[in-house]
Amino acid sequence: MKQTIKKIYLGLIILLLYAPIATLIVLSFNNSKTRAKWGGFTLNWYVELFQNESIMNALYTTLIIALLSALIATVVGTMAAMGMQAMNRKFRTVMMGVTNIPMLNADIVTGISLMLLFIVLRFSLGFTTILLAHISFNIPYVILSVMPKLRQTSRQTYEAALDLGATPIYAFFKVVFPDIFPGIISGFLLAFTMSLDDFIITHFTKGPGVDTLSTKIYSEVRKGIKPEMYALSTLLFVTVLLLLILINAKPSKKSSAASLKVKKRSRISQIILRRVVPAAMALVIIAGGFFYATQNSAGSKDQVIVYNWGEYIDPDVLTKFEEETGIKVIYEEFETNEIMYPKIQSGAIAYDVVCPSDYMIQRMIENDLLAEINFDNIPNIEHIGDEYMKQSQQFDSNNKYSVPYCWGTIGILYNTTMVNEPIDSWSVLWDPKYANNILMQDSVRDAFAVALKYLGYSMNSTDLDELTEAKDLLIEQKPLVQAYVIDQVRDKMIGNEAAIGVIYSGEAIFTQWENPDLEYVIPKEGSNVWIDSWVIPKNAPNQENAEAFINFLCRPDIALMNFEYITYSTPNTAAQQLIEDEDIRNSTIAFPDASELERCETFRYLGDENDAVYNSLWREVKSN
Amino acid sequence: MPNKLIDIVQVSKSFGDNLVIDNLDLYIRENEFLTLLGPSGCGKTTLLRILGGFESPDHGQVIFQGKDMTDLAPNKRQLNTVFQKYALFSHMDVAENIAFGLKIKGKTQTYINDKIKYALKLVNLDGFEHRTPDSLSGGQQQRIAIARAIVNEPKVLLLDEPLGALDLKLRQDMQYELIRLKNELGITFIYVTHDQEEALTMSDTIVVMNQGYIQQIGTPEDIYNEPQNAFVADFIGESNILPATMVEDKLVKILGVDFPCVDIGFGRNKPVDAVIRPEDIDLVKPEDGIIEGVVTHLIFKGVHYEMEVTANNYEWLVQSTDMFPVGTHVGITVDPFDIQIMKKPESEDEEAVAIEE
Amino acid sequence: MKSKKLLSGPYLIWSLAFIIIPLLIVVYYGFTTKEGDFTFTNIAQITTPENLKALGLAILLSLVSTIVCLLLAFPLAMILSGMNVNQTSFVVLIFILPMWMNFLLRTLAWQSLLEKNGVINAILSFLHLPSLNIINTPAAIVLGMVYNFLPFMVLPIYNVLIKIDKDVISAARDLGASNIQTFTKIILPLSKPGIISGITMVFVPALTTFVISDLLGGSKILLIGNVIEQEFKQSSNWHTGSGLSLVLMLFIIISMAMIAKYDKDGEGSIF
Repeated sequence: MKQTIKKIYLGLIILLLYAPIATLIVLSFNNSKTRAKWGGFTLNWYVELFQNESIMNALYTTLIIALLSALIATVVGTMAAMGMQAMNRKFRTVMMGVTNIPMLNADIVTGISLMLLFIVLRFSLGFTTILLAHISFNIPYVILSVMPKLRQTSRQTYEAALDLGATPIYAFFKVVFPDIFPGIISGFLLAFTMSLDDFIITHFTKGPGVDTLSTKIYSEVRKGIKPEMYALSTLLFVTVLLLLILINAKPSKKSSAASLKVKKRSRISQIILRRVVPAAMALVIIAGGFFYATQNSAGSKDQVIVYNWGEYIDPDVLTKFEEETGIKVIYEEFETNEIMYPKIQSGAIAYDVVCPSDYMIQRMIENDLLAEINFDNIPNIEHIGDEYMKQSQQFDSNNKYSVPYCWGTIGILYNTTMVNEPIDSWSVLWDPKYANNILMQDSVRDAFAVALKYLGYSMNSTDLDELTEAKDLLIEQKPLVQAYVIDQVRDKMIGNEAAIGVIYSGEAIFTQWENPDLEYVIPKEGSNVWIDSWVIPKNAPNQENAEAFINFLCRPDIALMNFEYITYSTPNTAAQQLIEDEDIRNSTIAFPDASELERCETFRYLGDENDAVYNSLWREVKSN
Repeated sequence: MPNKLIDIVQVSKSFGDNLVIDNLDLYIRENEFLTLLGPSGCGKTTLLRILGGFESPDHGQVIFQGKDMTDLAPNKRQLNTVFQKYALFSHMDVAENIAFGLKIKGKTQTYINDKIKYALKLVNLDGFEHRTPDSLSGGQQQRIAIARAIVNEPKVLLLDEPLGALDLKLRQDMQYELIRLKNELGITFIYVTHDQEEALTMSDTIVVMNQGYIQQIGTPEDIYNEPQNAFVADFIGESNILPATMVEDKLVKILGVDFPCVDIGFGRNKPVDAVIRPEDIDLVKPEDGIIEGVVTHLIFKGVHYEMEVTANNYEWLVQSTDMFPVGTHVGITVDPFDIQIMKKPESEDEEAVAIEE
Repeated sequence: MKSKKLLSGPYLIWSLAFIIIPLLIVVYYGFTTKEGDFTFTNIAQITTPENLKALGLAILLSLVSTIVCLLLAFPLAMILSGMNVNQTSFVVLIFILPMWMNFLLRTLAWQSLLEKNGVINAILSFLHLPSLNIINTPAAIVLGMVYNFLPFMVLPIYNVLIKIDKDVISAARDLGASNIQTFTKIILPLSKPGIISGITMVFVPALTTFVISDLLGGSKILLIGNVIEQEFKQSSNWHTGSGLSLVLMLFIIISMAMIAKYDKDGEGSIF
């Protein structure tokens, strides 16, 4: 009876531990681009995985960093452990205390402290900073693995060796070292594992264009994980499983009949341990050396560093650009204007070309962060419709700093199978009928725009009473909100997870393709019309390459490629003509007519103080 | 004649493929100091653990004062155990350790305090109430373990090789202590050891075990002077064990020479084993001995001299307070009373120890 | 012997540069304004209602998670420590293996499981049972914390349990203790170092997480970790962020002190 209870308990725990893993494995075979539907069995993602350059890059970076940092940490840590062994008690306690700090400290604090260190030293964030950070948190693990072994090692064996004529160094390598070797190995493996899995510290110490698997996954969480990731994680899991089984094939002390087989197995695992693994490691390190060199030759090659919204460009466009111009594209993504701005302002990272939204461009201009564009280098700007250049003057008064890229509206996307009535007002987002079925945008201006417009105020209001009213309204709404999301609203609406969502017009088109039950509407109280444009920061290292990039994007065929991929409306009239599908060319969602646009406002920059007010009110809403 | 306290009936126990106790029968009396003696793996500790309730026999029963306690949980038995490595509770002080069993039984604090004082006095550790176990020496820990056990007034005290970790002098002192304790408390002690000297010193009864069953039961003198088989003979004390032929009653032929002895009933011209203790051999002038030989080794042992004498192709072990240098020709004689005849082992199981010739 | 001490030289320098100095920098930022004047406002930021709420919620959720972890881990550690040696390594393998999957993906997978149309609800509706609606609530965050940090509670307790001499347990039984009494009077007190160690290894990461609340809380729930992360990554408000981090570090120092008090011999480490 007792035994069965134990077994049941163990079984339940194992079920808990493996449920998510099983889910991931199953999803890796799911023949559907979104997580929400099961589309049949496929091995497609495994194939695509190996063709996906950015994921492979991230994988490689992760492995190299893990290996290098673990190795260096092991060497430094082992030496440190031995040195500390020889210290007097007080000093050793102090050092052990220091060693314990990274282990006990919250990752987030370690991460920000290192980030601040690099910024203060003006050490640009990138591959090297990640490596340094990883070494720093790995060394304590090594020390804490080796110290117990050192303590256990009998002093007497060392003295016996000396007695027999060995020099201290010889005695160390022949007697002490083999004794503590298990500790060193476990320290190395531990460091390797912690480095592989680290997210938080890497998150803070990385630079543009460099991603480890974890940061890559995180950046994709907002949009919807690419299924290739599931394939990758399944492969990793299976590999580790095999490795652990092989290495742990311990011969049991049972009958001799099985011992031959066991000897064979243990010989294989011996061979793997002793020869294959070190060889593989050496190979990876050497290759990594080259990799590191190429990563860090940032200055020497011709390149352009692009900072753009997520899922906001056709990857083939980038490839084409690189092929045609020979300029390498380093590509970083951001989620909201508010996240992008401080990065540009602080100058910690130098981007060449960025794609902010209207009001943010206004702010950047007012804060003297942008360079004037040399339009001689952008002849293709003639394809951008005049009305868009005119609209841009609202934030870029003389059209000196920006080139329009995409535009659109914000509206309500609703699922006709879950919503019985026609929607035409923001009020539906406060309807208790749809409790826990409502998705709001996780962005301060967008959320407040909805509330302000619903109340009949301007979405650029700076009146504290109006703003407080809007804030209270949002707080009132919060229990009904399923989640505050950005790009995930797409997946969730497609998957029928929610009935109503606030969404960008570009996303709306895509969702309708995937789920014909979805409808998009601009509410009668009015909404937001926006333009995202390309700008060049003042401290851009490669301004001419940036201009070449913008020019390339203004080419009609390229603008068309982008439109078809990201489904956001293009201001490129020449490209609009080229759209083959009539329905889309004439779509009111993609290209709403003037009457709809009349009740829409563009965001304006409200100044730092008002921004702070908005931010603090938003904080109140989020923390309620 | 003291009463039977514990009856062990046809008990068997295996661990995996290993048969550790084989159909064992044994009874234990009140107020008896009984020692289970044998080499490692002979089953003595397992038997003790079965008595304590930490193992269950596969077959058989354990009867305690007429009641079947085979399946009774250890905390319900009226026995207490002193463990080999003391097993003191490191997070409690001495007083709390000793009080543990009493607290469980719900005794009052005054009762407990008195008992603690009494127990510490009994083991000669007055005033140690507030010491912690890791501040005590091995011997002191041992005595606290004993105190903790006896304070519960068990009918039987089980001791699992308790003196193994102590140095010689301390061990000898503790042996006397244990005998004194037993007499003062008037309870049964069941003692497990592989040290035959210890067994001979302390026991009322010795149970010699090997390979899972009993080789011989008897008083120390019986076991020592009249071992019933080669194993017991070899395990207890030193001996010369020789293959011999029983010519007829009271006459045995050893190494081709007739030796008068006192045993009868072994048949005529039957093969037997003859056991002669080294201290029972007298070395005399060559012409006066039953057989003749040469001294090949000589070691001074303090208590006596130990010599090896090669005679008739056998290396006799001899212990004597007389000294004969190496190379001396000597004669060997043995009093007939000192020759112990044993039956040849009937199965391989009895022939447990290789007899060196 | 002098030369041996020098071996730790590189590490001494490294720890100074990458552990001590960065922390000092955080202290500096925490106590200064953008202009460089000394101030307490950054630390005082913790007292704003939203931040207090975030802190309070984080403390509550991490306490709950720690307790749940403890309740789950202790029986597990006891079962594992009671198994014989051959079985043990295999079973320990099973428990360590999930940790090798990427932490983000594992947590994210719970989203798929817990969603309204997710796997769990699909199974429940198949069995005509009511659906489970905890995604985007604090309950989901607790689940995520427990899931991720359970091994860190199990391992220290397991390490302490296997060091308990089996004879000590037998002695307690021999002296009359029932199973429950043996547990409360002997096993529990002796496992205290492991429990303390486990609690610290779970409570601190749970208190300071932002990823779990991000992924499983639907961005509706703001924990102190989220606040700090946003100050750094979104608003680039390094001074405020550092001030809040200093408050957080206070909690961490308290836990370190707790360890030092209860576990002088370093028995309860994870190794």
